[in-house]
Amino acid sequence: MRPSRKRIWGSDAKSLSGRGPPVNNFLEILVVGIGNGATYAMLGLGLVVIYRSTGLLNFASGELAMFSTFIVWTFWNLGFPMWLAILGGMLGGFLIGVLVHKVAVSPLGDPHERPLAVVIVTIGLFLGLNGAAQLIWGTVDKRLDPWFGVSQITVGGVAIAWQKIGAVVVLFVMVLLLWALFKFTKVGLSMRAVASNSESSALCGVSVQNMLMLGWGMAAGIGTLAGVFSAPNLGLGTNLMQLTLVFGFAAIVLGGFDSILGAVVGGFVVGILSSVVPQYITVFEKMPLAPAFILILAVLLFRPQGLFGSKDVARV
Amino acid sequence: MKSLRGVGPVQSVLWAIALVVLIVLPFTSAPFRVEQYITWMTIAVAAGGLNLLTGYNGQISVGHGALYGTGAYTVAILVTDAEWPLLPTVIAAAVVCFMVGVIIGLPALRIKGLYLALVTLAVATLFPLVIEQFSDLTGGSGGLTLTSEQLYRGSIRDRRVKWESPIDGLASDQWKYFIFLGISIVCFVVIAAIVKSRVGRSLVAIRDNETAAEVSGINVSRTKIITFGVSAGIAGIGGAMFALNKGQVNPTSFTLTLSIYLLVAVVLGGASTVIGPAIGAVIYGVFIDVIAPELPETLESATPLILGTLLVAQMLMAPSGIVGWFHDLTEKVSRRRQGGGKQDKNVDVTVTTHEVVAETDLETDPGGFHP
Amino acid sequence: MSLLEVRDLRAGYGMVEVLFGLDIDVDEGELVVVLGANGSGKTTTLRAISGMVSATGSVTYKGQEVLGKRPDQLLGMGMSHVPQGRGTINALSVVDNLRVGGISRKDSEVDSDVELWLERFPRLGERRDQLAGSMSGGEQQMLAIARAFMSKPEFLLLDEPSLGLAPLVTREVFDRLRDVTADTSTSVLLVEQNANLALQFAARGYVLEAGEIVMSGPAEELQGDEAIQKAYLGI
Repeated sequence: MRPSRKRIWGSDAKSLSGRGPPVNNFLEILVVGIGNGATYAMLGLGLVVIYRSTGLLNFASGELAMFSTFIVWTFWNLGFPMWLAILGGMLGGFLIGVLVHKVAVSPLGDPHERPLAVVIVTIGLFLGLNGAAQLIWGTVDKRLDPWFGVSQITVGGVAIAWQKIGAVVVLFVMVLLLWALFKFTKVGLSMRAVASNSESSALCGVSVQNMLMLGWGMAAGIGTLAGVFSAPNLGLGTNLMQLTLVFGFAAIVLGGFDSILGAVVGGFVVGILSSVVPQYITVFEKMPLAPAFILILAVLLFRPQGLFGSKDVARV
Repeated sequence: MKSLRGVGPVQSVLWAIALVVLIVLPFTSAPFRVEQYITWMTIAVAAGGLNLLTGYNGQISVGHGALYGTGAYTVAILVTDAEWPLLPTVIAAAVVCFMVGVIIGLPALRIKGLYLALVTLAVATLFPLVIEQFSDLTGGSGGLTLTSEQLYRGSIRDRRVKWESPIDGLASDQWKYFIFLGISIVCFVVIAAIVKSRVGRSLVAIRDNETAAEVSGINVSRTKIITFGVSAGIAGIGGAMFALNKGQVNPTSFTLTLSIYLLVAVVLGGASTVIGPAIGAVIYGVFIDVIAPELPETLESATPLILGTLLVAQMLMAPSGIVGWFHDLTEKVSRRRQGGGKQDKNVDVTVTTHEVVAETDLETDPGGFHP
Repeated sequence: MSLLEVRDLRAGYGMVEVLFGLDIDVDEGELVVVLGANGSGKTTTLRAISGMVSATGSVTYKGQEVLGKRPDQLLGMGMSHVPQGRGTINALSVVDNLRVGGISRKDSEVDSDVELWLERFPRLGERRDQLAGSMSGGEQQMLAIARAFMSKPEFLLLDEPSLGLAPLVTREVFDRLRDVTADTSTSVLLVEQNANLALQFAARGYVLEAGEIVMSGPAEELQGDEAIQKAYLGI
């Protein structure tokens, strides 16, 4: 067995406990948690969009985000302004998402009828995207500057990085856009209809395949943002999103698989838990993932629909 | 090899070739290759265990790498700290992993399908962190080297364990090869026996329709929990073999990637066929150890890309894997020979395929490593 | 020439054949019923006509061969299908269900049409923001019918509206259906198990048994037929 060439877990733990000045203030830990939580919520939003449109847990979601973050880096590295690079990456992610759905996912049929096939295909995508990224961008981590710079402001004695504030603001803009899309547009209405009853939607003339494709594309586009906010801390490598994926899943398990609000609330809760708990409970010191894992397990066992999910989702 | 119902001449010949190849292989390969073959065996055994759970019983685990790792660390700790002799630690690893599997199996009664995949994926991601966390016991990120007190240059010292061949003319790597081949064969015979027994039919019945299985008198909960335990125990044996082969363990060997590759081995070879995972493990091994190093350095990372593409393509085009595909093929050929008389029995093909596979594997060598 | 002409329609699922060559006609403005017991192939008949299961034979609609066309293409030609089990989109509100019904329309009157249909079905109007999944069976059936009308169809395929409804509710649904089809001069092909009620509303009927038409004729004639009375009317 050859292990993957790089460690896949170390960097996040480091960013919470080792790097920079020692975190000794509860509020500062909280700020870190909220900043991370915004990232988890972004990945969670992508997962929710896919779950809502296809009923599928996308295990390749993190790798899609990683891949499109590399696209962002490529544009940025070529000298494009960051916001344009990010738009480019989101567009790239969107196209890959669309392609992935068209080629690999849609031929599978109902994901809950053939769960093993879904797991295998998304894991095949996981491997494929990871390998493709290694092939294109190599195995040395790239440096992506923080979108909102490295400076920070001090509020009531607590230093808050602009990057963290930026993450929260971007998250809320995303949520607002998604909410408006689903609430006010014909496309949003069609996507909701397909998610609830694809056969009836088809009878009403909704193009089901196009809506599912759109869902995949949107999810991948949103995931790009999660990658863009993770990369400056963790270093942009092909294993960028593997931990974040589990955090993102924890977020939507807690919030409810099909709830946008739930992904946001869940993201923040998971972000805060995973930065606060290891500071106070030494047994979790090197595994900020453990509280998130316990959360996943407990929610699936005792309240499978999560906080805000609809009951009929709880097919657990 | 006696002739079995449903085993055509083609299969018999293939099994005979496989057996010969397995015996000859260590004598014609360089020692580092022999070590690699053993690694493939460890993957094959663990994938075989995973197949029992995921292929036959329908409980999807993306976390068997963690159980493999648990087996490996059990061996390492017992050998290094408790100074156990080597081979009994394999049994200890199986027992420990069986118990861990039972514990995981309990929540899996309520968490099913895609959601179980999600939880086990989290387990796989968490495992290396747990190893680092409990570094007093596990050596943390530095790992553990399996040592024992050995006579070295006139004094007793702690040195890395090694396999002294008791037979003249058999090098230590070849000796190790045959020991592990033996363990692998035992594992696969056990798997085949389970699959062929009444229990095996219960596993499939539960996978296909849990309610119907319950109604027909199968104790679904108990069967599922024990299956999880047995599957984990076998995966633990794979990990134990890994630790004994390498002489050291390190958390980087037991990441999510490993769990994914175990699943790849099962699916590529053929889920719910006994021998499929072994064939899948060999394909995986050939890719990683034989083909990848030959590629120019810039293309080396193409391996996961190729494996991933292969996996998606196979799932869409031949979901029953190589063994399933092979059996469909031989089935077609033999039917053509017998004339069209059986054409209308199409509906039963998949069922008979699995029966044939199960029977074939019980009687024949399950190692199945042909390069 | 009939609005819909079905000739020698054969269909099935996988290896299992369900329909063995049906001939059905629907004239303009007509309400035609296909009667049959569970498993006789009623639903498959409608699904075959609207392209949801593959079929052989011929289906001519407005003089054009439509077999093999997708549901959304047929919708564009004015044919709308209300599936069995009502097929409401349960996670959407009543209003949103109606808006989905009009999603294929290009004109700007969709929103005013939604209001129109909420007036025509007052019970839906009272529940305009309620989720479809939380409504009673009868309300869901009315919603499914109203939603189908949102696409301004000329021809409606209606799959067993009485399924799972109490007799009084079923009658109400049929009354409403008659009113709106008359208002909009829509032709209907209805499949039903409840022969007694359906024959009161239909002009003509067919009797389907094990995938074959065994009897057909004007509704009054069928109502008077002894075999039908025994099999379906419980007299």
